Amino acid sequence: MTATKIKEKAGKALFASSAIICIVAVLAIFVFLIIKSAPAFQKIGVFDFIFGDKWSPNREDTYNSDMSGKYGIFTMIIGTVSATIGALLIGGTLGYFTSIFLVFYCPKGLKKPLNTVINLLAGIPSVVYGFFGIAFLLPTLSNIAPNNGSGLLATSIILGIMILPTVVSLSKTSLEAVPSTYYQGSLATGADHTKTVFRVMVPSASSGIMASLVLGIGRALGETMAVVMVAGNAPTYPYSLFNSFRVMTANIVMEMGYAGELQEGALVATGVVLLVFVLLVNLLFNLISNKMVRSAVSSKSNFKWFNSIRQKINDKVTQISYKINSSKIGEIGAKASGLLVSGVLILIVGFIFIKGMPTLVTTPHLLIGKFEFGSEKITILPALVCTLFAVILSLLFAVPIGVATAIFLNEYTSKSNFIVKMIRGAIDILAGVPSIVYGLFGMITFVKLFGGSSSIIAGSLTISIMLLPTIVRSTEESLKSVPMSLREASLALGAGKMRTIFKVVLPSSLPGILSAIILSIGRVVSESAPLLYTMGSVIKAVPTNIFDSGATLAVALYKLSGEGWYINEAYATAVVLIILVLGLNLIAETVGNKLRTGLKGENNVNKKKSKSTE
Amino acid sequence: MLIRKNRNPQNNELSFNGHISVSNASLWYEDFQALKNISIEIPENQITAFIGPSGCGKSTFLKCLNRMNDLVDNCRVEGSFKIGDVDIYGKIDVNELRKNVGMVFQKPNPFPMSVYDNIAYGPRTFGITKRQELDEIVESSLRQAAMWDDLKDRLFESALGLSGGQQQRLCIARALAVKPKIILMDEPTSALDPISTGKIEELCEELKKDTTIVIVTHNMQQASRISDKTGFFLLGELVEYDNTDNIFTSPNDERTERYITGRFG
Repeated sequence: MTATKIKEKAGKALFASSAIICIVAVLAIFVFLIIKSAPAFQKIGVFDFIFGDKWSPNREDTYNSDMSGKYGIFTMIIGTVSATIGALLIGGTLGYFTSIFLVFYCPKGLKKPLNTVINLLAGIPSVVYGFFGIAFLLPTLSNIAPNNGSGLLATSIILGIMILPTVVSLSKTSLEAVPSTYYQGSLATGADHTKTVFRVMVPSASSGIMASLVLGIGRALGETMAVVMVAGNAPTYPYSLFNSFRVMTANIVMEMGYAGELQEGALVATGVVLLVFVLLVNLLFNLISNKMVRSAVSSKSNFKWFNSIRQKINDKVTQISYKINSSKIGEIGAKASGLLVSGVLILIVGFIFIKGMPTLVTTPHLLIGKFEFGSEKITILPALVCTLFAVILSLLFAVPIGVATAIFLNEYTSKSNFIVKMIRGAIDILAGVPSIVYGLFGMITFVKLFGGSSSIIAGSLTISIMLLPTIVRSTEESLKSVPMSLREASLALGAGKMRTIFKVVLPSSLPGILSAIILSIGRVVSESAPLLYTMGSVIKAVPTNIFDSGATLAVALYKLSGEGWYINEAYATAVVLIILVLGLNLIAETVGNKLRTGLKGENNVNKKKSKSTE
Repeated sequence: MLIRKNRNPQNNELSFNGHISVSNASLWYEDFQALKNISIEIPENQITAFIGPSGCGKSTFLKCLNRMNDLVDNCRVEGSFKIGDVDIYGKIDVNELRKNVGMVFQKPNPFPMSVYDNIAYGPRTFGITKRQELDEIVESSLRQAAMWDDLKDRLFESALGLSGGQQQRLCIARALAVKPKIILMDEPTSALDPISTGKIEELCEELKKDTTIVIVTHNMQQASRISDKTGFFLLGELVEYDNTDNIFTSPNDERTERYITGRFG
C-alpha cells in the first residue's frame, strides 16, 4: 500500500519537475542574455545602441578601456523590418491566396498532393533555402540587378517562400472552421461560389488569417541562415532592392565567431533587441487569437464616432469591391497561387537534385570517404556522424522532459491553475524564440560549461531546449485525444494513476508522440543557426566522443556554399539533406495520418449512414 | 422591380412564378434511393407543409426545389421539376434560380456581419451598390419580417448578437431582400422557443400574400395551424398530398392516419 503511494508521489514529482524545467529554461535564457548584454548596453548606451547607425566594432574594445569602435544597430533594425515587410508582401499574399485555393478551388484529387507539397516546403532546412538563393536566385536576379543580385528583393523572395507554409496552414485551418451553413446560406440567396467565398467565407475567417500573417512575421523576424546567405550583410540601410544590407540575426552569426569582449556583449544585446521584437509579435498574435473568440459573439465598441467613421470607410470599400468585382480577381489570384506554390517546390527540389545528383553518384568518396587533412577531396561522412550524434543526444534530453511535461499538464492539472499558466506561457515563449537566440544562449552557457569550446554535447543541449515546445505540444494533443472513459475504466479497476498513465494513456497516444519525435529529428537535422557556435562549424575527422566538436550536415552545407570552391559538393550535400528531411517529414505525416484515421474509423461509418438516410 | 442590373441578361427572359410542378422525381445518394417517383403540384401564394418521420426524404425533396442538392457529392436527380414554365434542372443559371427560390434553414445562419450587411448581401450580389437603394431594401425587408422596430437602432451591430428567434427572422428578411417568388423553409422553428415560433408562423401568414411558402416541419400542430396544403412523406415516397384539413381530419391512407395520430414516427 505505502509502496504504491510512494510511487505515485514520486511520479507526480518527476512530471512536475520536468514541467518546471521549461520555466527554468525560459528564465535562464532571459537572465543570461541580460547579464551578458547589460555591460554592453551600459558602455554603449541604450539609445546610441538602438538608434546609432554606424557599426564598426573594434576587437580590442573591452569594458574597462576606452571604446574605439562604433556599435549602433539601427541599420540592422531597419533591415530586419524591411525584409519582414518584403517577406509578408510576397509570402503573405501568396499564402493568403493559396489557402483559399486549397480550401475552395482545389480539385479533389489535387488537394492531398498540394497539402503535402506545402508541408514539405515547411520541412526544407533554411540553409537549403539559402543555398538555393545563392545557386539559383542570385545569378538569376543579377541579370536585372546592378550588383550580384543580393539585397532586399532576394531576401524577401526567400523569406516569403519560407513563411508561406506557416501562413497557409493556419489560414487553411480557420477557413475550414467557417461553418458550412454560411456557405449554404449565401448560395440560397443566389450568390455563386466565388462571391460566396470572398464575401462570406473569407471575411468570416479574417481574424484567423490575420493571426497567420502575424505568425509569419514572427518567423521572418527570427530567420537567420537563409537571410545571411542572400542579403549581402554590409551594415548599411537597404536603400534599394539590390544593395547589400544586414539584418539583426545576420549580425550575430557573422561576428559571433571572432568577437572581442565589448563586441560580444553588443551581439548578445542585438539578440535581446531581436527577442523583444519577436515577443511583441507573439503578444500581438495572442491578442488577435483571443479576439477571434470574443468577436464571434458581438462587436460592440464604446467609441461611437470611431464606429461611424469605420462604417463609412467600410461602406466605401464594400461599394468599390462590388463594383470592380473583386471576387473574380480573387478567384484568379487563388488559382494562380496554387499553381505557383507547387511550381516553387518543384523548382527548388528539382534544381538542387539535377545539379547535385551527378556528383553524388560519381564521387562515392563524398559520402563514405575517409577525411584527409588538406585534401582536395571533401567527405561529408563526419558531418553525417555528427548529425547522428546530435539527433540521439538531443532526443535523449528533450523527449523524456517534453513528454513528462505534457503528462503533467494534461493528466495532473486543471486549466486555470497559476503554475499551469506559467508553464504554458513558458512553452509559448520557447516556441517563439528565434533559433539564433538559442545559439547565443548555448554559447554563453553550455559552451562555457564544457570548457569554453564548442562540442557535440553543448550543441545537443542547446537544440534540445529548442525541441521542447514541439514535443510538449504535440504530445499534449495526442494525450487529449485519448478518451476520458479509458482512464475512468482503468481507475475503476483499481489501478493507480501512474499505472493508468503508463499502461493505458501513453500506449493509446503513442502514434502522436512518435510523429512528434520524427519531426524533432527533422528539426535537428535541418537546424544550423543554433549549432554553428555551439557544436562546431569545421568539417573535420569523424568525432569520437561527445566532447569533440564537429559540423552537422546543415552546418557543413553552409560552410561549403560559403567557401565557393566546393560548389558541386555543396549541391550533393543539399541533396542528401533534402532526402533526409523530406523523408522524415513524410514518415511523420504518415504516422500522424494513421493516428487520425484510426480515431476517425468509427465516425466514417456513421457519416455514411447518416448521409444515406437524410 | 428593385433589381435592375443583371449580369446574365439572357436569364431575364426566364419567367419564374410561384407555381411548382414536379413529376416522377427520384433521387439517389450513390446507391441509396432517397426519393421515389414523386409528383406534386404546389400552388402559388399558399403555404404547403411537408410532414413525415426523420429521414423520410422531405428535406431532400425541399432542397431539390432550389438545387441545393447540387452541393452533395454523388447525388443524382431524375424527373421533371418546373417552376412556372422553367425547367430548373435544364440549362439555367442556378444562381438566378436560387434568387427566385429563397431558403431558410433549420438553424439560423446569419453571416458574421452587421444586420445591415446581412440583408444587403443578396442585393449586392446582384449588382446594387447605391447606399440609398440598399437602405430602402433593408428597411422594407425588415418591415416585411416584422423586425424593423426592434432592429432599426441596431442595424450596424453584429447579427450574431441577436437572439435565436431574431436571427431566424433576420434570415427570413435576408431571403426576402432579393424578392423571391418562393421561400423554402427547412424546419425553421425547430431550434426556437414557442414565442419565437409563434412569431415566425405569423410572419408566414403575412408573407403568403405574394410569396409561395414550402415548409418542412416535424411539428404536426404547426402544419395544421399554418398550412393550406400538406404532404406526408414516408421512406422517400409522397404517401398523401391534399388540403391540410383533409389530411388531418380524414386521411385516405392508413399510414397517414397512423402517423398523425402518433402511432409511429
